[in-house]
Amino acid sequence: MNSLKIFNMKRFYKFNSSVRLLVIFALLGWTSCKVESLKPPAEATKDVSGNWVVIAATRNGTDLTSIVDFSQFKLSFSQGKYTLINKLPFLVSQNGTYSLDDPQYPFQISFTPTGSKAVSTAFTYPIVNGVRQLTLTFSPGCPNNTYVYTFQKAN
Amino acid sequence: MRSYLHIKIKGKMLWSFCAILILGIVITCCSITVFTINQPDTATVGSTVPISVNFTYHNIYASSTENLVFGFLVPKGWATAQNCKITYTSTVGNGSMVLMPSTVTEPQSNGLSWPAALLKKFGIGGNLVNDMEWVVYQSDVGYPLSNGEEISAILNISLKVGADNNNTLCKLGYVIAESADGLRPIDGSLDNNGAKYEYYAEQITPCFMLTGGSGDVVDFCNPQLTSVDPPKSLDNDFITLTFDGTVTNTALPSGSAVYLCATANTSDGKTYTVCDQSAKTQFIQTAAGSNKYKITIWPRSYFGISDAQTIVNMNYFVTDVTGNIKVGYGNTASPFTYTFKCN
Repeated sequence: MNSLKIFNMKRFYKFNSSVRLLVIFALLGWTSCKVESLKPPAEATKDVSGNWVVIAATRNGTDLTSIVDFSQFKLSFSQGKYTLINKLPFLVSQNGTYSLDDPQYPFQISFTPTGSKAVSTAFTYPIVNGVRQLTLTFSPGCPNNTYVYTFQKAN
Repeated sequence: MRSYLHIKIKGKMLWSFCAILILGIVITCCSITVFTINQPDTATVGSTVPISVNFTYHNIYASSTENLVFGFLVPKGWATAQNCKITYTSTVGNGSMVLMPSTVTEPQSNGLSWPAALLKKFGIGGNLVNDMEWVVYQSDVGYPLSNGEEISAILNISLKVGADNNNTLCKLGYVIAESADGLRPIDGSLDNNGAKYEYYAEQITPCFMLTGGSGDVVDFCNPQLTSVDPPKSLDNDFITLTFDGTVTNTALPSGSAVYLCATANTSDGKTYTVCDQSAKTQFIQTAAGSNKYKITIWPRSYFGISDAQTIVNMNYFVTDVTGNIKVGYGNTASPFTYTFKCN
């Protein structure tokens, strides 16, 4: 009987230590496998502020960069307004306000010349060789004549 | 080894049979044996020109249902898609030609539309001003063609010419094909008469003259002393003027510096002349000694008009450095003219 008791006690302790181990592992597992909430960093708002100069231009696919002097023409964005400096054929010919269709993922830019209706165009905003570029496609004259200007921020 | 050879022979026969079967299914084509065009040489702006295209085509492969395809090379300014009606009479049926939907691709051109495929293959048919377009039609219904069948057809074209009101010299182009093979190149197949089997036919006609318009003379056929690119533009476009001194002997010495002497007429009745001989007006020779020159201008700025004004047209000469030698239209004392418009 005694021996049986001792045996049972042993089993009891053995069982108890097993449970303890299980609880510890369960606790470890529970704490280690905690799901973290994954939140991607917010996309930066595209800031086009500053002066932009033309680095490449085409008309109906023909390169104009080498035959037209674009060096004086600047497109300046500041606090919701744009300014054309030393004008050349462009989407708009008067200064005014501008807006992006989505500040984080913009696909379109609207120019609203003072006193006129807004004009929108698709634009791309890639980083080329570490430098942000702005490419605009438009027809300042006949609708069938398509111009593509690629801008880069002036230093 | 014997067994292997046996299998090989069987396989070869099987492949040959399959190849013939596939060729029979895929190449359901029609050789065009007759192709004549009855087109007037001249017309007046705004008139409706009757043109007939007569052809016979001959199918030597497996039967298939195909639409007749017709490509028409015309000046863009004629807005042919809106101003042309085409009917057909043929030995298999009569009907109308309808504009090819822009979504339909030419079968041999990796996804290009029919007009784009024709432009890629035939260009602008030897015309010298890049202001031509291929307008493509297909028969309103498809026709089943059996092996050996020959079809004769006539396209009756009613084309209202000169929607842009320009006096025009141009070469019109005609292409006949069928929808299944499209512009498939000659591939060694022979017609019954032993001639190489052709899947389509193309013809460019001699220069067609359109008169009676009040617009500019647009000559697609003959090299011009000067030309403007883009051919259609407004004063807010960049325009590139080309002077080609090789077209004819002018009073300007070959290879010497030449300048633009131009007068702009605005919609409010004013004229603006820029006729100095300076860096602003100087043409740039495209290559040393080429006697071909270009100048690119933004007319609004070049003539210094106000924001409220619009330039309607421009008259111009090409001069030497003194300004005393002036070359005009057709190497005469009359100026070249250019009208700013989009159509």
